[in-house]
Amino acid sequence: MSTHDPGPAEGAVELRGIVKRFPGIVANDNVDFSVARGEVHALLGENGAGKTTLMSILSGAYRPDAGTVSVGGRTMSFRSPKQAIEAGIGMVHQHFRLVQPLSVAENVLLGAPSTFRLAGNATEDRVAELAEAYGIRVNPSAKIWQLSVGEQQRVEILKALFREASVLILDEPTAVLTPQEATHLFSIMRRIASEDRAVIFISHKLDEVMAVADRVTVLRAGRGVATLTIGESDKANLARLMVGREVMFRVARSDHDAGAPRLTVKGLIATGDLGLPALRDVTLEVRAGEILGVAGVAGNGQRELTEVIAGLRPAISGTVAIGGRDLSASTPAERISAGLGYVPEDRLGTGLIPSLGCIDNVMLKRTDEFARGFFINKQAAEAATSELVDRFDVKTSSLHSPVSLMSGGNIQKLLLARELSAGPGALVVAQPTAGLDVGATEAIRRLLLEQRDAGVAVLLVSEDLDELLSLCDRIAVMYEGKVMGVVGAAGADREQIGLMMAGTASDPA
Amino acid sequence: MKSSLKLISLGVALMLAAACGTGSESAGEDSGSTGGGGSKDVVKAAWVYVGPRNDGGWTTAHDNGRLAVEKTLGDKVETAYVENVPEEPAAATRAIEGFARKGYDIIFTTSFGFMDPTLEVAKKYPDVVFEHCSGFKTADNMSAYFGAMEEAKFLAGMAAGAATKNGQLGVVNAFPIPEVIRLGNAFMLGAQAVNPDATMKVVFTNSWYDPPKEKSAAESLLDANSDVLTQDVDSPATGQVAGAAGAKWVGYNSDASEFAPDAWLTAPVWDWSDYYIERVEAVLDGSWESHNYYGTLADGIVGLAPYGKSVSQETQDMIDAKRQEIVNDEFDVFQGPVYDQSGRVMAKKGEALSLDQLLSMDWFVKGIEGKLPAS
Amino acid sequence: MSATTAALRPRLVKRLLPSRATRLAVRIGAVAAAFVAAALFLLLAGNPIGPVFSALWSGSFGSAYGQAQTILAAIPLVFTSLAVAIAFRMLLWNIGAEGQFYFGAFGAAAVAYAWPEWPGPLLLTAMVLGGMLGGALWALVPGALRAYLGVNEIVPTLLLNYVAILWVDYLVNTAWRDPESLGFPLGVPFSAQATLPQLGDTAVHAGAIIAVIAALVIAVILRKTIWGYKIKVIGENRRAARYAGFSITRNIVGVMLLSGALAGVGGMVEVSGTVHRIQADISPGFGYTGIIVATLARFSPLLILPVALLFGALITGGVELQTIGLPSDIVLMLQGTILFFALAGELLVHYRIEWRRQAQTGSEGEPGAAGRAHPGAMPSGT
Repeated sequence: MSTHDPGPAEGAVELRGIVKRFPGIVANDNVDFSVARGEVHALLGENGAGKTTLMSILSGAYRPDAGTVSVGGRTMSFRSPKQAIEAGIGMVHQHFRLVQPLSVAENVLLGAPSTFRLAGNATEDRVAELAEAYGIRVNPSAKIWQLSVGEQQRVEILKALFREASVLILDEPTAVLTPQEATHLFSIMRRIASEDRAVIFISHKLDEVMAVADRVTVLRAGRGVATLTIGESDKANLARLMVGREVMFRVARSDHDAGAPRLTVKGLIATGDLGLPALRDVTLEVRAGEILGVAGVAGNGQRELTEVIAGLRPAISGTVAIGGRDLSASTPAERISAGLGYVPEDRLGTGLIPSLGCIDNVMLKRTDEFARGFFINKQAAEAATSELVDRFDVKTSSLHSPVSLMSGGNIQKLLLARELSAGPGALVVAQPTAGLDVGATEAIRRLLLEQRDAGVAVLLVSEDLDELLSLCDRIAVMYEGKVMGVVGAAGADREQIGLMMAGTASDPA
Repeated sequence: MKSSLKLISLGVALMLAAACGTGSESAGEDSGSTGGGGSKDVVKAAWVYVGPRNDGGWTTAHDNGRLAVEKTLGDKVETAYVENVPEEPAAATRAIEGFARKGYDIIFTTSFGFMDPTLEVAKKYPDVVFEHCSGFKTADNMSAYFGAMEEAKFLAGMAAGAATKNGQLGVVNAFPIPEVIRLGNAFMLGAQAVNPDATMKVVFTNSWYDPPKEKSAAESLLDANSDVLTQDVDSPATGQVAGAAGAKWVGYNSDASEFAPDAWLTAPVWDWSDYYIERVEAVLDGSWESHNYYGTLADGIVGLAPYGKSVSQETQDMIDAKRQEIVNDEFDVFQGPVYDQSGRVMAKKGEALSLDQLLSMDWFVKGIEGKLPAS
Repeated sequence: MSATTAALRPRLVKRLLPSRATRLAVRIGAVAAAFVAAALFLLLAGNPIGPVFSALWSGSFGSAYGQAQTILAAIPLVFTSLAVAIAFRMLLWNIGAEGQFYFGAFGAAAVAYAWPEWPGPLLLTAMVLGGMLGGALWALVPGALRAYLGVNEIVPTLLLNYVAILWVDYLVNTAWRDPESLGFPLGVPFSAQATLPQLGDTAVHAGAIIAVIAALVIAVILRKTIWGYKIKVIGENRRAARYAGFSITRNIVGVMLLSGALAGVGGMVEVSGTVHRIQADISPGFGYTGIIVATLARFSPLLILPVALLFGALITGGVELQTIGLPSDIVLMLQGTILFFALAGELLVHYRIEWRRQAQTGSEGEPGAAGRAHPGAMPSGT
């Protein structure tokens, strides 16, 4: 990996003394940050450390309270993202800014210089060309709403590439990618950097940072802690800089035998949003006291599988049963009362309601519990919420303020806390740690293992293979709506799982 | 709305009025002079209109009366009006009471739907006098007034009967209520007096003033082959449609010939000027008394608007002769024989329809093609 | 990068969480601005400002008579706007409050004619129930169509308005026609027991109390009950509601029934309190005005009360203006101006206007920024 020693002359981006305050907090406190052309520069920090704020200032979404921004040696004062884009700053956000009813190509063209007109196939060809050049797999004519989260992110990356950004900012880009896809993304990032452009890579995943970055700047609690070359750093010291204490990388996992099958699905066939087959005869069995992982590249039927189990998507055929009770024809409510907990991939659109506060969100699945006749028992709901927030260490300024104001980790903790508080017999969890920082990830994983040890049947869908390998008892691999095989997690072969994710069948374990 | 009575001294209305505690003529000495008592130097007079002042029809006719009052009485009167007042009772009461509490001496309310609201306000303001047009309820300080429009309708029908080539007339009507039915029947009888085979198609709009509805109603009548249109609604939309299609038109309420000069035959019109001047003067000199007034052709309350170019001198002479007969009491519009649609005799030769039959008229005369909802 | 101008341009920027004080200040400012603009209009049209505003005031709030009239005009609007608001909490547009109002009047009248001799309290209670039933029935069809067949509710609710109005028209032309109305389509007058009593010696009838109770009940339902919570969740996010196991279809039907029942009580109150009989023309479009009232009140049941009063004041004040000789066109314009500013105020509660310089690139040379500027960053202009 090449390392540079960029001086000010080479500076692509130079942030000096950036201060940004929000009511009640200082998100950036006198931060210096500089990136040179030709380098991949990681911005490392836990959620809430101020990474995204800092990059929002660079990309023109926020204006700093103090400090200067210069791009290509010129001091800038961006008053809008548009001005930043014109100055060559491209940002791929964590929350996608795509127009759902439009196609991939149309989205890529939106906001691009107006010389490119929307002209049907011609634009699709252009986008397809660009995608090909960077090896990005996405159908230019597909509509955004038809795409998985991972695919949508690829469109965002394409968008920035299409605008020929000289500085590309990627906010947690690997959160939704498979290891292979992540590796591929890294090669794209390196290719962009090699074209004398700068890539800023926001992450909290140490392995990735070590793998792709030339230099790394660590933020903690709004302050810049250090800027190091990768050569002079290792995972342990980066983690310490980031968290401010020593970090355990392995979650302790007890050995115990799983019980009887608790959650079973048989012969599930269902279609996706497009109306195309998404599940083709899926049969799985999760036993009490085990975590069954579902591995696979985004968009291979995992989301549809969890939705069919939860009753949110109709199955064409097949059965879903919990504890031997057939729930195939049951409403979502009946499945919930049969003991099904569900942490959906779409936390802030399905699992929680962003505009409502913690109490209202905790009530979402526990309305009966907090009913006193027709009325809401507000005291009980508030007490229960406050107890959950304490027990699961959810940090929030108020139980009443919208959960959308909380950080990703706290949002997920609240969601999981609610699902666990109902005492589920079976728990379906999708992408539980995607986008979360190290501390939150650790906490979430520990909670899942606690559930397993307490005898809950956990179905864990994740695109993070490391997570599956460290948490699961067995791993099922999905490809194009089929289960390619189920392997024991202990001593599983990453290569073999990777092959199954790419469509090569294996003997069921 | 504008339901009318005939021959008030004999009418049901008088009994109702008596039931309401109204004094009749004999009560002149004690209850006659309300309105604050005695004469006044300046009278404040107000009008409450159901439509816009410039509707070119019903409300315009009343407003012309108001303007005549201003012109004739000059400094001695102060007038005001509210237009577009809905017949919804709360809104109507609000408008009427708005004038009463402002110290207006006499308030004219010119739509049937204002009858109950007028009575209600009249009870609360005994020192103000009220004049309600087209209803039947009266009180010590509330008169009813209207006119024998059927006489003018009959004459206008004669003009239509003379003008039609195929003998097929069409009328745009507001509501299927006795007043409207009676006026339509009078028109038909007038047309048949000239052209015994004439027939007339009927469309109801269920509104006194709704130009778009009136327009489409008129268009449907033209589609059904009518070549002379008339109306018992308040806007000139019917005439505009007729004019555009080269058909003829008999208007209503006021001279609206300017809207379709080529189509214009004439119109049975209201002229409230004399009545309004007389009533306001009565308040001025302290002689106002409650009454139930029903003006006729002879009184000049109803009449015909100037004829259009296409009405021949011969037709005009014939109509003038009939007018004279009516004024002289030699002819009754509903003089027998009168037949209903099925050919049943409703009034025998030598007799006329009774007051009761006129007040509750819910049948069409022979020649009218159309159905009434209630029958 | 192109050379740029420094032209100031306005932009609407969303306020994240407008504070209570901001909201109040903006709303008061909007009303003040409305009157300033109205005054300008009047001046331009050559009308005296003083007498007009004093008439507007005395005709609406400034006199006992005006207050009573304002309340009377506001009562039916409270019911129709509550109907619109509760439906909108679930993102349903009930354009049919007009028809439900008529059908509620029909239901109440049916009770009043069936048992005219019942004692007042019993009969009036039965009439309220009749009104609720009538209105709810009328909302059931579009509600069920929406819930079970996914038919958008806007067109069915709108079309059923005409059916309801014609149905009442038909009844007052036939079965319920008052024999003393000389054939005119007026229903038989209600018995004294079927008439809502006046409040003390004011002109206001007891419908005012029913209206306040209705608003309070809806507020309590929305804030304090499980059902209200479910309505809120479904309105906010249908996916999350399905995820939580709430039955969307059942709640759509339920909310439409409640919505229709509210408009129906409005019809009952109007015929029993004001009209004292059933007839055509009992509503000059209360159902449609209710949409505006509800929108201005941001679909909050308690805010609907003052907003409906504002509308009542505009209606009664407007009549007062005509009686002092202001043409009805000017009155309409005045009412429109005040409404416009009220709506603009609502926009500004949630957005603020920022004046921005257009695309200013390069150095700004601001002293404050220069103090912290990187030494290597040369000011450069293009």
